[in-house]
Amino acid sequence: MKLIIGGYAQGKLDYVLEKYGMENVSVWEGTLPNSKELAEKTVVINHFHNWVRNRVAEGGCPQQEVRLFLEQYRDCIIISDEIGNGIVPQDPLEREYRECTGRILIQIAERAEEVERVLCGIGQRIK
Amino acid sequence: MMILIIGGSGSGKSSYGEQTAVSLSAGKDFKKYYIAAMKIFDGEGQKKAERHRALRSGKGFITIEQPVDFFRVLEKMEEGNRTLLLECISNLAANEMFSGEVPKPPMETAEKIIGEIQKVQRQVTHLIVVSNNVFEDGIAYEKTVMEYIQAMGRINQKLASMADRVVEVAAGIPITVKQEDSRICRF
Repeated sequence: MKLIIGGYAQGKLDYVLEKYGMENVSVWEGTLPNSKELAEKTVVINHFHNWVRNRVAEGGCPQQEVRLFLEQYRDCIIISDEIGNGIVPQDPLEREYRECTGRILIQIAERAEEVERVLCGIGQRIK
Repeated sequence: MMILIIGGSGSGKSSYGEQTAVSLSAGKDFKKYYIAAMKIFDGEGQKKAERHRALRSGKGFITIEQPVDFFRVLEKMEEGNRTLLLECISNLAANEMFSGEVPKPPMETAEKIIGEIQKVQRQVTHLIVVSNNVFEDGIAYEKTVMEYIQAMGRINQKLASMADRVVEVAAGIPITVKQEDSRICRF
């Protein structure tokens, strides 16, 4: 499993498609797949932070859900925006979203065999 | 050589940019130009610009104010070997995007700036571009602000692919993100 993080508009998906080949991956936008029908292709979760945000807003348990997902998809690639480098917002949902995303990314990074940070379209391996 | 420097506000990216321009030109007959993209609106901006100019004056920079149409610096410089320090993309992009009656579309803004930087790059010896890391706060701003951030993201990506070196500055410390030729000495 691989984790790609970086700021908004840094070219993270393009970087992944270029590196792993567009034809070898199946890209999911801000959502997790719930079946294994596309098992022959590497599952890419793009805008993973949006999925966390939605689950937080819906009162779900994203930490637990991610754990189950990762057990099923051991070779997936998760792409998430870095959202924590700003002023902590006043709105409770916004705060929970940032905190939860940060904690989950740590959890994913611990399990990932590779973590890359993309800045200006350039990947830097940080794990 | 082209170098892209990126960092947050107060990270020390400007000072690193100046040092880089100075060391690239040291001992050579290079003219150093500082291209200020900031638009001066009021006394506060004027003061800031004057202070920056004074700080640079001992280092031998010639200042050109160019808030839009970056390629026009070509008409304002002398012939010969030239080292250019452009500061910074966030100002240039804002000026290009928001100077008209309505905001210019983000990709049009990005392509205009990229094209003009490419044009200037071909005419100078060294080009150092300073940009800002405005991408990591997770805030969903209003549409025009998001489009402005998208334009900056696009410009940074393209400049990074053109550059020989990309350096991120954090707490005044330069971190190499890209180094095209490892034989070039680091400074």
